[in-house]
Amino acid sequence: MSDIHYRSAVEFPFLSAPDGSISLADHSEYTKVLVRADRKTAAGKHLKVSYGRSRSRDGILICGSRPDEWTLLSEAHRSTEVAESVPRDGFVSVVDITHARTMFRISGSCAVDALAKVCNVDLADHMTPDGAVFSGSIAKVGCDVVRNDQEAGRSYLIACERSFGKYLFAVVADACAEFGIAIPSGMSTH
Amino acid sequence: MSSHRILSRPGELIDRSTRLSFTWNGRPYTGYKGDTIASALAAEGVGVFSRGLKYHRRRGILTADHWDPNLAVQVGDEPNVRAGSRRLVEGMQVTAQNVWPCLRFDIGTATRLVGRFLSAGFYYKTFMRPRFLWNHVYQRVLRKFAPGGQVHWQTKSHDNYDKRYAHPDVLVAGGGPAGIAAALAAAKAGASVMLVEQEPELGGHLRWGGPDDLSVLDGLLEAVQSCSGIEILCDSVVTGRYDHNWVAIMQRSHPVALERLIKARVGSLVVAPGLIERPYVFAGNDTPGVMLSGAVKRLINLWAVSPGHRAVVFSANLEGDAVLADLESAGVEVVAVLDARAGDDVVRVKGKGRVKTILTGDGQTLEADLLVTAVGWTSPTSLLNMAGDRPVYDQVAARYFPQSLPDNVLATGGITGDGSITELVAHGRETGTLAASRAMRIRHDRMSATARSPKPSFDRPAAVSDERVPLRRVPHPECYQSSTHGLVDFSEDISSKDLIQAAAEGFDSIELMKRYTTVTMGPSQGKLETVNAAAVLAEARQTAIVDVGTTVWRPPFAPVSLGALAGQSFEPTRRSAIQNWHEANGATNMLAGQWVRPDHYGNPMAEVANVRNNVGLIDVTPLGKLDLRGPDVSRLLDLVYVNKWQNLEIGRVRYGVMVAEDGVVSDDGVTGRLAEEHYLMTTTSSGAGAVWEMLEDWLQTYRPEWEVHVTPVTGGLTSINVAGPRSRELLKRLVDDVDLSATAFPYFSVRKGSVAGVQDCIIWRIGFTGELSYEIHAHSGYALHIWEALLGAGSDLGVAPFGVEAQRILRLEKGHYIVGQDTDGLSKAPTASLGGLVKLDKLDTIGLPELRAAFQRSDLPVLVGLQTEDPSIVPEEACQIVSSDGNEILGRITSSRMSPTLGRSVCLAQVYSSLAAAGTLLTVKLVDGRRVKATVQEQHAHVDPEGERQRV
Repeated sequence: MSDIHYRSAVEFPFLSAPDGSISLADHSEYTKVLVRADRKTAAGKHLKVSYGRSRSRDGILICGSRPDEWTLLSEAHRSTEVAESVPRDGFVSVVDITHARTMFRISGSCAVDALAKVCNVDLADHMTPDGAVFSGSIAKVGCDVVRNDQEAGRSYLIACERSFGKYLFAVVADACAEFGIAIPSGMSTH
Repeated sequence: MSSHRILSRPGELIDRSTRLSFTWNGRPYTGYKGDTIASALAAEGVGVFSRGLKYHRRRGILTADHWDPNLAVQVGDEPNVRAGSRRLVEGMQVTAQNVWPCLRFDIGTATRLVGRFLSAGFYYKTFMRPRFLWNHVYQRVLRKFAPGGQVHWQTKSHDNYDKRYAHPDVLVAGGGPAGIAAALAAAKAGASVMLVEQEPELGGHLRWGGPDDLSVLDGLLEAVQSCSGIEILCDSVVTGRYDHNWVAIMQRSHPVALERLIKARVGSLVVAPGLIERPYVFAGNDTPGVMLSGAVKRLINLWAVSPGHRAVVFSANLEGDAVLADLESAGVEVVAVLDARAGDDVVRVKGKGRVKTILTGDGQTLEADLLVTAVGWTSPTSLLNMAGDRPVYDQVAARYFPQSLPDNVLATGGITGDGSITELVAHGRETGTLAASRAMRIRHDRMSATARSPKPSFDRPAAVSDERVPLRRVPHPECYQSSTHGLVDFSEDISSKDLIQAAAEGFDSIELMKRYTTVTMGPSQGKLETVNAAAVLAEARQTAIVDVGTTVWRPPFAPVSLGALAGQSFEPTRRSAIQNWHEANGATNMLAGQWVRPDHYGNPMAEVANVRNNVGLIDVTPLGKLDLRGPDVSRLLDLVYVNKWQNLEIGRVRYGVMVAEDGVVSDDGVTGRLAEEHYLMTTTSSGAGAVWEMLEDWLQTYRPEWEVHVTPVTGGLTSINVAGPRSRELLKRLVDDVDLSATAFPYFSVRKGSVAGVQDCIIWRIGFTGELSYEIHAHSGYALHIWEALLGAGSDLGVAPFGVEAQRILRLEKGHYIVGQDTDGLSKAPTASLGGLVKLDKLDTIGLPELRAAFQRSDLPVLVGLQTEDPSIVPEEACQIVSSDGNEILGRITSSRMSPTLGRSVCLAQVYSSLAAAGTLLTVKLVDGRRVKATVQEQHAHVDPEGERQRV
């Protein structure tokens, strides 16, 4: 498998405004593992993170994506390792959804303004602080979003069903154009 | 033309160092940066800007702001531009609209000859009969007289409208002194604030005031611009307030979009729109040169334009009196001042293109080219109306005031009363503080109730009652109409005479009169004319204005372009991991729901033949796929499918059909058991989402004790169907860890293995084409590699891709039905010939009672295979099957294609059960009316009914 390359639904891995005020980076290859378990199970106690919040531990970003459901995010090619880190006592489902989701990161001081053009969720600090996890519609596509600030400032990880990936990345890039991102020729929402 | 530009003014908005060129009706003009279209033209001596709607009388500047009903112009391809507020841009091409052939000589003036017949309700009365003229005559004629500019339907210049969401704690509608003060106070209290001002600059009436006003304005602007918690939106307007403080804002001059619609969810809405000066009703009040005092102040102080040479001022208030100083400073000779408070009046104005003489109430005739009226204000209470308020008329102050508002909507400024600048600012400040307090309470509740939000760091603010000291109400004369009749509604050309006639005809309720005459229904939506209309009606009814009531204002507050409302259209599309390959290799796409799919690669018939003779590949990724885990999966399958699932072995696959609670077939697919507690369910492409929701619904509500987890994995598993007699041979070249032999891997089995080096693929031995076939479900990130490997490995086997059209032909040849095409919203299990599949002895299945009842019936339609007598005729899908001697409908064609395998047409059809026996001769009525004969077949399958080709 080592010579077989992962192919993302997103065609342009990185776009940025010249002044760095906003950027888009494809993270589709990142490991994504879905865990479903009751909070009282060993898995639930191990993951700890409550619904709507996230926490980074051992290189894994644990996101409380829904009640009794967590999405574990990590660097690429760690699916087996991440899945095996979850205790399996009781009724627990661990599904590798790496290939089932397109994921990209939008970062920068203008990220909120760009997202406000395609998403009606209140992204103010008091409602959606760093670490917040929520599901919402972005340009009419159901997405899971994690506010995951980086050293450079605000940053959001956006994940959607893989088949919407090309469309969604293009739409968000288009929303970013106002803030300086140049849309590559050939990128289209259709 | 002589220049009307005067010397520099302290508060002027123009940049005299930057000249801009533009054209007006084809002639070149220049203005300054900061000019409005109207001020630039007025500075160049232009006095006529438009023509009236009905009588096409010349119109000049009336209010010199956004609400001016006489200043709607066409700019390039953009119609109905408000020349009173739109700023001049280099190269603008401005033309008058609603005139022909030109503004100066307008044929439409001929309507004045029949003006006496164009009374209230003219359209209703005139165009009723004869009815046959409605479409071909009346409609065409009326369209010629439709007001407004023109936009070409193919215009490219209007394609960049935008939308945005916002969630301010406090939204202040109106950037005058009270509004700015409210915004500052709310921000100081910790609220996030959005301050929206319709004009391109903040300040309201302070902008055209004296030195003291400008000084106050400077202080407010400095404070608001340095306040980080306030987002300022100028040249923007709050167009509507809806339930739960959902507020729409139209942002006009956006740097990258023509207009942007902002959808704001607001904690507290502060309404501070100020007041709008109203016109006076008298004969000739629409003559160019009749201006409101506010227009004169704006022209002189904001744009340094002299409004005329010789002026008469008709004033009923201090603001009107104050215009004298402005006129004098602009070098305008004031011929006379008529004081309405002392009983003076204006009776009539004469002049065609410009005011020439003014007839006063005491019989004087004054020669002047400018009449300035200052007779009071209208309260723009629209947003308060939208919040449920019904403003009440105050006879003393001669305008409407708010009555009762919800807690999250507050009013401040002139709309609530009168006062000095200091008093207005103080009231605004109190209002902002109150609004913030209430908004922070809402913010606390939202944070507390939202999982992703932190616990509020502040205590929940206590409910604060409104203890603001109300602004005074300064007495003002009820000065609405002279002894003569004049225009009430300048947009719609409605005169006071029209209103009186409407009242006489029985339309004497303000709401009925509005609809009958269209008064207040023009672009300004009653901003200028509502009180005047009520006053005229009150006089006609011999009652007080307060007893007349008021009309109800609804959104939008100001005219909104349709493009802005439509905005950017989001139409999500889904693509498989191989879709780019399809497009690069000659596929013609089709849209199946949201999925972009290859319909064919040039020749679907050849693609069918290749599958029958060699091997084909089709991308079937849209097939719904649900990962099911847990010890109770088989119980769930038993519940949702009509057949039994308890004994499905690991590695085996079973076909299942779902029905809804009414027994109607809703979805179908195969489910394979991958491990002890792990299954993979497939659904129809269109049904994937609905089936997932249905499963979750039943698990969460009906059987919460069952341990089943459902995870949709449709896009994560790319599905490739390898079909054809040489499919096994092809797969063997790429699969080395699964025994593909017929005995080891029989029909309706599933295995996990590697394909072309890609691990963890799920390989199914199933098929929809009637051929030996396998379906590979592979992780989508590696799917293209597998697809290309299959094509590369099978070149000597004749492998080629085939599209959806070929698949449809293949499945129809085989007689496989499609849920939703060969079944419909009434098709129950017997119709789909599912008698052998449905197990009525199960304890529970969704729709089981209906299924039991359905199988007792003999009148349900039945799906049958059908072939026309003439093999070359392919009846179109949905063609009716009728009685041989009439048009009684006996069924319909549900699927039909020309079969390249058989060289003849093949069909599936729903027919009455009495006609379903093999050999029955039916009559099919074609689209062109011809009737052809067709015979019911033994089975659905037209090709290989015994299934020998797929079970090898």
